[in-house]
Amino acid sequence: MKSHFDEQLLYECYECARCTGSCPAALAVEGFNPRNYLLTCLRMGLDAVVSDEKLWCCTTCHVCEDRCPQMLDVTDLLMSLMNEAARRGFIPDKVRAGSQMVLHTGRVVLVSKRASEMREKLGLGPLPEIPVEEVEGILEKTGLAGLLG
Amino acid sequence: MRYALFLGCLIPVKYPGFESSTRAVAEALGIELVDMPFSCCPAPTLIKLVHYPSWLALAARNLALAEQEGLDILTLCNGCTNTLKEANLVLKNEAALRKNVNDLLRPYAKEFKGEIRVRHLLDVLCEDVGLEALRKQARKKYGFRIACHYGCHFYRPPRIMYPDRLSPSKSLVPTQMEEILSAAGLTTVQYSRRLLCCGSALGTKVDLEAANEITREKLFHMAERRAEAIAVACPSCFEQFDRGQMMINRKHDLDYAMPVLFISQLLGLVLDVDWKRLGFDQNRVKVETLLGG
Repeated sequence: MKSHFDEQLLYECYECARCTGSCPAALAVEGFNPRNYLLTCLRMGLDAVVSDEKLWCCTTCHVCEDRCPQMLDVTDLLMSLMNEAARRGFIPDKVRAGSQMVLHTGRVVLVSKRASEMREKLGLGPLPEIPVEEVEGILEKTGLAGLLG
Repeated sequence: MRYALFLGCLIPVKYPGFESSTRAVAEALGIELVDMPFSCCPAPTLIKLVHYPSWLALAARNLALAEQEGLDILTLCNGCTNTLKEANLVLKNEAALRKNVNDLLRPYAKEFKGEIRVRHLLDVLCEDVGLEALRKQARKKYGFRIACHYGCHFYRPPRIMYPDRLSPSKSLVPTQMEEILSAAGLTTVQYSRRLLCCGSALGTKVDLEAANEITREKLFHMAERRAEAIAVACPSCFEQFDRGQMMINRKHDLDYAMPVLFISQLLGLVLDVDWKRLGFDQNRVKVETLLGG
């Protein structure tokens, strides 16, 4: 967490809740509350936050930091918390599946037969080959492969 | 005007019509696009949230590839733009991180040097092609009313995406899309909540139903200004609005039918490129109703 977000900055929060008032995920998901995550980190530490699956509802739109009168990078805070959650083994299913796709194929979506047909119809060439071994090799060394299990 | 074309994952596989229309528009405007074996950017809404160092390393590989050819990268997707611009900036500024990724890239004969720029198609159109050229080359007129949706990762956070263009409050309001479409002779409308997120990343990660509620909020305000079409510059936003309208109509018994057009599809219409290359059969909300006769 420390590498991406300076915990000392949490003390700069006014508790004005502008982050939460402008947050699209808070609009749609009851219980997703950036301001509460921030305050919980301060008062109870990370453990209370990283186990909350709703943390992953953040769309990373960065409007919170755009509106924050203290210019706190709230999205970066949430990203750091998600990184920490992942380190502890908590990754939502869809996020794990997408990450594994990237690890093993270099793409986040499966290349279907339909894709090739659509491309041909549009007069496009075949998809450029991605050197998958290279992508996998890099992501094994960085630790993503181990993290995803 | 020569760039390394960064297609990303969604466009070449799910929406190749955006690729073919981009290529057609590029040809018409004298832009040369070079294909390279790029991988996933990787997405700021996925790998970055799981493991930042992996995100940075894979982004560095993509940047290094384009550097080898000495080409700036041209992106078509906001996620790719966000990742590659941020990684480029971070790696240019932080020597320790740069050394880490270069140690990882060395076995593959690649090195991040920090010698290129990453540009979204919108910025290439505004700055390199120029609005005047668009004005001159526009051949066909269309009168439908367009609501522009930028998508968050195109310009936020501004301190990373547009550090040279910050307002006194360190913020930024994007206007490129309206400028481009107006120059091309199209009609754009302003609407409330123009800069609200489409919701896509919430849907792809956790909860699609909830994501659609964000989309519904946007659609309401677009429709309120009698928008007849939605312009996007990102395949994720496209999917969210295009598929979203179907799902929202069914769930809430509504009848939204605003075709969603990728920026190159819109420009392709105006520049009168080969219709078959615009790929409109991939748009779920049918575009033909807009075009009349």
